[in-house]
Order: sequence, then structure tokens, then C-alpha cells
Amino acid sequence: MEGFLQNYGFLLVTLLQQSLLAFSLYFPLMAGQLSLASPGFYALGGYIAAIMSTAPECTPLREKLGTGIYPLEWLAAGLISGVLALVIGISALRLRGIYLALATIAFVEILRVICLNLEITGGAIGIFDIPQLFAERWSYGLIFGPLLLLTLLFVYRLENSRTGRALKAIREDELAAGAMGIHTTYYKVLAFVIGAVLAGIVGAMSAPFLNTWNARQGTFDASISYLAYVLIGGSRSMWGPLLGAVLLASLPELLRPLKDARLIINGMVLVVASIYLPQGIVGALGRLKRCVVKNTSPMGGER
Amino acid sequence: MKFAAVVTLVVTLFAGAAGAENVSKPIPIGIAVAQTSNVALFGQEQMNGAKVAEKYFNISGINGTPIKLISQDTGGDEAGAINAFQNLVSKEKVVGIVGPTLSQQAFAADPVANRLKVPVIAPSNTAKGIPQIGEFVGRVSAPVAKVAPFAVTQALKLNPAIKRVAILYAQNDAFCSSETTIFQQAVKRQKLEIATLQKFMTTDTDFTTQATAVLRAKADLVIISGLAADGGNLVKQLRQLGYKGTIIGGNGFNTTNVFPVCGKNCEGILVAQAYSPLAQNPLNKAFVDEYRRTFIKDPPQFAAQSFTAIQLIVEGLRKVEIATKKKITQLDLATVRVELNKALRKGSYMTPLGEISLDAEGDINQHSFYVSKIKMDISGKVGVFAIVSVVK
Repeated sequence: MEGFLQNYGFLLVTLLQQSLLAFSLYFPLMAGQLSLASPGFYALGGYIAAIMSTAPECTPLREKLGTGIYPLEWLAAGLISGVLALVIGISALRLRGIYLALATIAFVEILRVICLNLEITGGAIGIFDIPQLFAERWSYGLIFGPLLLLTLLFVYRLENSRTGRALKAIREDELAAGAMGIHTTYYKVLAFVIGAVLAGIVGAMSAPFLNTWNARQGTFDASISYLAYVLIGGSRSMWGPLLGAVLLASLPELLRPLKDARLIINGMVLVVASIYLPQGIVGALGRLKRCVVKNTSPMGGER
Repeated sequence: MKFAAVVTLVVTLFAGAAGAENVSKPIPIGIAVAQTSNVALFGQEQMNGAKVAEKYFNISGINGTPIKLISQDTGGDEAGAINAFQNLVSKEKVVGIVGPTLSQQAFAADPVANRLKVPVIAPSNTAKGIPQIGEFVGRVSAPVAKVAPFAVTQALKLNPAIKRVAILYAQNDAFCSSETTIFQQAVKRQKLEIATLQKFMTTDTDFTTQATAVLRAKADLVIISGLAADGGNLVKQLRQLGYKGTIIGGNGFNTTNVFPVCGKNCEGILVAQAYSPLAQNPLNKAFVDEYRRTFIKDPPQFAAQSFTAIQLIVEGLRKVEIATKKKITQLDLATVRVELNKALRKGSYMTPLGEISLDAEGDINQHSFYVSKIKMDISGKVGVFAIVSVVK
């Protein structure tokens, strides 16, 4: 068992982490808002954790709390990300569609340039030698795993709640939802903030996991990967982001023996999936299931 | 049936990890550099250098036992570097690792190897703090603080009238932003005035703002810390807008890749080098000849450094054989890794970089550096780094 975890532990935990980041993008998408800000909050959360665990100013706090500093880091990252998301969300969510996407990309870029120039964030080299919560990489699954389970549970409950239905109504038609009496701005900002809090916490957990934190974490490239996870997996179901992230994040590593060809295959999967599976893999599976059910029992109609 | 297959698979996976094991033959040495992503340009040069080393040192091997390079692509990010290291250590069972390409990647991946007690020799990590990551981490790339100031002293020797300096750097690149602070300190030490300080991004293509600022500041020395593409373009636009003074390029200019970018305008750029293909020593001559034969061009610094890293591991393994009076393949892997790490830090090595040694922390002691001037031919396409002075 130990050999297996030694070989694949880092990859497995990366899958959990990437799934969580996919969910951080999925929340705004539940309300039909294409926001690419998640990597920004992820980077912010990571910096907060990295600074709290390395800065000399925080030494008394660390000595007092011991390992208790880690939950405090997650809390701080979640809180700060949430407040920042509230401020940004209220102004940015007035924009729609592609303009919101552009505004959130701008946010990620601004944050990156600020971090590159600040002394406390270590400039371009970043912060290194971050104290470790666990010695082995796979052990980080013990924090990412429960967080993912909680998130899944939360999404499951959310989808069947009043708030979830309001978000779906906004996604289908914002004007109609408004006419029905749904406070659209409130729900849009809410979804945005939930996504940001999640991304911030994941970032805070990832800083010790990666040993180092710098401005190359959570860039525009990352935004696109998270978006791909959700779109390829399926943006209409809570299993979509999970499946998409696991598949797309593991593919380049599983194809390692193919050396240079692995990126070609990886790219081809993306192209083929986006052409032939417009509703994502989960959407396609759902359609397939309906097809099979129809064929085997001709009496049963569509649900 | 299916269940049985899964069980067999799981058992074979776990069986691999059980018990102590000997080093396999040929002796596996890992190289984890960026073969894809936007740093691949450096990674491929490192790969080339390592391949030449494999061929060269396999003529005699480790007292007859051949070595084998096992490469894993790190890509340009931190997670990729950790995955590549993990793969080399646990699956490929290498005795030591050469890599990764970027300092930021080293800060992520080296602690992993250090915890697993596998020696790492960094061929190109120049940031502060790399050897301090752990006792199993060393490097053959001289820190920026060492190399960069030589160019400034040389520029002043060539033109003592220099007074006003313009400093430009790529703010999104870790190497460039640490290099520029070294340049700024060197300039202040020489009692020169920093007339203007300009930033740009490695992804920029238009440098009009920076170039006009330099001209307005009436600088007579320009120091650029950038990479080949952006730095080359910056030099080109500076010259086109009429700057006539001396230009010092940082280590990003220390590659022939810069020639096609700035063409004729590359002429005269001063570059401090940790390696020169023109350096006089027998091993460097053999390395340069073999490199030219295989790749039809002169070896760049990145290739020379990865050659050197492999050389250290090879010579380290030979020392381990002498010390233990056993063949490497008769020893168990964990012992070889620990002994190799100790051996690496002992004695000095005659390498293409000149005579070097590693100190107790694993940092390089390099004895000779070069300041070279770029000379372009009439066509403006082909150039050389002509040595102006050798600093000992």
C-alpha cells in the first residue's frame, strides 16, 4: 500500500484539489455566470497561508497555536476571499456573459501583478520553505478529501433548496427570474462568494502541499483549465466538475509513458469532447441512459 | 474474473515496493527538466547536454558498469516537477536526479526528493536558498550574485566615462528580478547613478515606452535582465530609436537564441558568463566537439551545466565504489543514494565550467567566469560570444 501511495499519492491529492477548484467555478455557473476569478482567490488563499506560516511577524502566533495554525489559515483565507469577492462581485456582476469573464480575468491579472511587486509575497520567486502539515504528500488527502465530500454534500443540498432553484432560474433566464420576484443580484453575488471562499480555502491548503507559493499559481491558464473541467465534465450536474477534473488532471500524468505524444492526445481529448459532447460527459451519459431505457422498455416514455 | 484481475494488478503494484533492493544495471540517473511549456527552450538544451554526457561517460562507465539517463518531463509548473521527481524516485529507482529547470520548481520538488533521501543536483537553479532546501540538494549553477557584477566592472574598464545607468528588467521572471537587484547593487558600488529603472514582461513585444525613457534619461550604460525573446527585442528597439551607448545583457542573453531576435543590433552586448565554449580545458574541448557533432552548434551554458551535473553524479558513483570496495549494482539503492550524496560534496571536479567543487551545503564553488562581447557577422544572422576577459 505504501509503495502505491508513494507513487501516486501526489497525483491522487492533486485530483481532489483540482475537483475542488472546478467546483469553485461551478457555483457561479449554477447561476449562469461565467466567472474566471477562481484562480485569483486560489492564489490569494495560498499567499495568506504561506505568509502566515513563514512570516517572522506571525512567529508568536505559530508557537502559541502549534498545528492549530493551519485551520486558522484556512479560515482566514476563506474569510478574506469571501469579503473581497463580495466587493468585487457587487460591481462586476452587473456585467453579463463575456464581459463578466473579461472583468474576472482582469482581477486575476491585477492580483498577479500586485503579488509580483510586493515584498511580503516574495516577488517573482515567491515564498518557499513552507512548514509542512504532513510529511507525506498523500496525507494531504486527509484534508482535501473531507473538504471535497463537504462540498459535494453542500452542492447536493443546495441544488434541491430554494436558493438552488433560484440560481437555476437565473441561469435559464435572468429577466424571467427577476419578473418572478427573485432578487437576481443577491443570488448572483451569493454564488460568486461561495465559489471564492472555496477557492481561497483550497489555496490555503495547497501552499504547504506544493512546498512553495509564487505568482505562477492561479494564472489565466489555470482559469481555462478549471473552465475545461466543468465544461468537459458537464456544467448542468454536480458530477460534471468532479468527473471533468479527475479525467483532465490525471490524463497528462497517466499518459506519461507516451512522452511527447501525451500532450497531443490530451489536446485531442479536449477537442473531441467539446465537439461531440456539447453537454459534457455527464450530459452525454444522461442522454445515453435515456436512450437505453427507451429501447429496452418501449412503453416507458421520457421522464 | 474481473475481480481477480484487479487483485493481481494491485498485488503487483504493491509488491514492487517491498524490501530493500539493489541498484539496477545499467545504473539509472534521473533527469527532470522542462521538455514542454514555455521554458522548454532551456529544458531541451539541458537535455542535449545530458545526452552528450551519457554518451561520453559511458565510454568507460562506472568502472565498467554503464549508466542510463531516465528523463521525465516536468513541464513549466510546480506540480509537474513534483510528479516527475516522484516518478523518478519511486518508479524508476534512480540513484540521483538532475533538475529541475526553474528555481520555483526546485522549491516545490526538491523538498520531496530531500525527504526521500535522494541526491539532487540542480543544473540551472540560481535563486538564493536553493542549497539550503536540504542536505540532499546541491547545484552546479553559480548564483546570480556571483556572476552578474563582472559585466559591470568590465563595461567600466572598456569605457571609464560611464556615469548614468539605465536598468531594465522583466518583472514576471524570478531569475530576472533577482538578477536586477544584483546589478543595481553592483552599479551603486561603482558609484554610478541609476538614471532610470524600467520594468517589462517577458511576454511583451513593444518596448517603445522603456526605450524612450532610456533616451530621455540620457543613459550611457543600459543593463537588461530579460530572457532571449523579450530582451533581444528590447535591444533591437533601443538601437533603432537611436541609443548608442554600451549594453549589458543579463544571463538571459547568454544563449545563441538571442541572435535571430536582435540580428545586427546584438553587436557589442556584454554578457557575463558562467560558461564559455571557448574556455581552454581538455574536457570542455571534448564536450564542445561532441556537442557540435551531434547538434551542429556550440553548446550553450544550460547544456554545459547539465553535462557537469551528470559528470558529478558519475564521478560521485566512482568514488562510492572506491570507498565501499563494492560494485554499485551490488549495493542497495538507499545506501547508494546516501553515499553518493556524501561523495558529491568531497573533492573538486575538472568540468567544462572549469574547476569546481561543492561546499558542505551543496552550493557550487566555481573558480573562473567570463565576460564576453557578442560579435555578429556581416549577414547579421550568425554571431559568437567572444571572450573579452576571464575572471579568476
